[in-house]
Amino acid sequence: MNNTEYIPIAALNQYAYCPHRCWRMFCAEEFIDNQYTIEGTSLHERVHTLGDSNREDTWQIRAIYLKSEKYQLIGKSDLIELENSEWYPIEYKQGLKGEWDNDELQVCAQALCLEEMTGKSVTTGYIYYAHSHQRQLVEISEELRQSAIATIKSVQNLLETGIMPTATYSKRCQGCSFYNQCLPQVAEKVRRYQEDI
Amino acid sequence: MGTVYITQEDAFIGKVDERLNVKYEKKTILDVPLIKIDGLVVMGRASISPATIAELVNYKIPLTFLTNKGKYIARLEPEMSKNIFLRSAQWKAMGESTQAIHVSKGFVRGKLKNYRQSLLQAQRRYTELNLSAGITQLESAIANLAQATSIDSIRGLEGAGSAAYFSCFNQLIRVENFQFHTRNRRPPTDPVNSLLSLGYALLRHDVQGAINIVGFDPYLGYLHTERYGRPSLALDLMEEFRPVIVDAVVLAAINRRILVPTDFITEPVSNAVSLTKEGLHKFLRLYQEKKQTKFKHPVMQKQYTYQESFEIQARLLAKYLMGEIEKYPPLVMK
Ligand code: SF4
Repeated sequence: MNNTEYIPIAALNQYAYCPHRCWRMFCAEEFIDNQYTIEGTSLHERVHTLGDSNREDTWQIRAIYLKSEKYQLIGKSDLIELENSEWYPIEYKQGLKGEWDNDELQVCAQALCLEEMTGKSVTTGYIYYAHSHQRQLVEISEELRQSAIATIKSVQNLLETGIMPTATYSKRCQGCSFYNQCLPQVAEKVRRYQEDI
Repeated sequence: MGTVYITQEDAFIGKVDERLNVKYEKKTILDVPLIKIDGLVVMGRASISPATIAELVNYKIPLTFLTNKGKYIARLEPEMSKNIFLRSAQWKAMGESTQAIHVSKGFVRGKLKNYRQSLLQAQRRYTELNLSAGITQLESAIANLAQATSIDSIRGLEGAGSAAYFSCFNQLIRVENFQFHTRNRRPPTDPVNSLLSLGYALLRHDVQGAINIVGFDPYLGYLHTERYGRPSLALDLMEEFRPVIVDAVVLAAINRRILVPTDFITEPVSNAVSLTKEGLHKFLRLYQEKKQTKFKHPVMQKQYTYQESFEIQARLLAKYLMGEIEKYPPLVMK
């Protein structure tokens, strides 16, 4: 992969969840649907019906490309709002607020793109949780920016080298759709295994 | 549901919405949702519509064509994963590499240990049998395997071990009217050999499916050399499963008198032996049942069906080649 390739914003979220998972999805291109990803997809299909509309004084744009040359990012936004000449990226998520904070990174990456595309600084974004119909505010803090930029670098490195990050078992594995492909506990099991003579 | 076997000559395999629909003389003889199918094997002369083929690819259902006697013809393999890293690890290990030697030993050791295990079990059960010579030969082949340093010597030990096992095989047959002399193929000329060949063809369909799901190139193997159009890796990974699945099903079919001599037909001139339609159905049912049987996987320490264990072994192989685990553990049964 060379420098003209962009990093999919969605990969940041996956990387933050588990680097090995990110490798499977974006390097090995293994993608196996399970219930969660299928539900997630249909939600996104709804959100991604291209269009714009007005909600009171808010101008809403759905499903447009977001891009940053500076960070080599590309992705599709679920929803962008413009209110009082301030831009807000909004990311839709199936289900409840996750246990992990990786969704915030994705919002931050969208904010970085929006800033570059509009020339205005973006200080706030939202995550919309479909299950509870709630919006959660994401403050695009300096700390979040730094962590997003660091993740962008890691993902860039992953995509360029293709070097597989080790699969390490953690609590996250239980909710991971790759569990049966990845078998994160198998290395330990093989180490302990003593074949019958 | 598992694998669907189409054995009706001149059947027409089509699809209606998202269901597989098989017709014979304009009557539907099978109608199942495609999501319930994980493999389709067409035996003998049947036709399949292009739309069905497209749908099989779409649902990632592998399709194998066999003759009505079970001889392999061709296979349609949907693309499963673009795992170029696994393929590259697979290719890097080709030839006489440390990894190729390690995994080849694993395949053969698994097979020979499983052979030995079934002889030991039979010996315990039927004290009048004399299997000790075969068991001793298998044990020495297994012991020598540890020292083998080339693929050729591993192949030699595999040959010696298999010969020892098959020299005992006739004793494992507990009924009067069936006999086994030596392994013969292309075409098999006695009922036992015809069942073994058929069983191995079915197993190959299943193992190749698992290999493909994991993202391997099935045509590059280690123990079996490359030959154009031969799925060498599938043949490699099949080794450890042969005794556990196919031989066990063949012996059960015969010893439990599920198949009787009248279930077989002998072709004139060639003497090729095959199953009658009725016999074939009985055998396919047994094979299918065996695949759905659960057992405790010795490495995973969890219950899996044999069908699932094909994929587990393929994933273990992938992990070894990718450097994620330090050894390839073949499936060795207790
Ligand atoms: S199962 Fe665990 S280690 Fe494997 S990809 Fe998923 S989260 Fe990562």
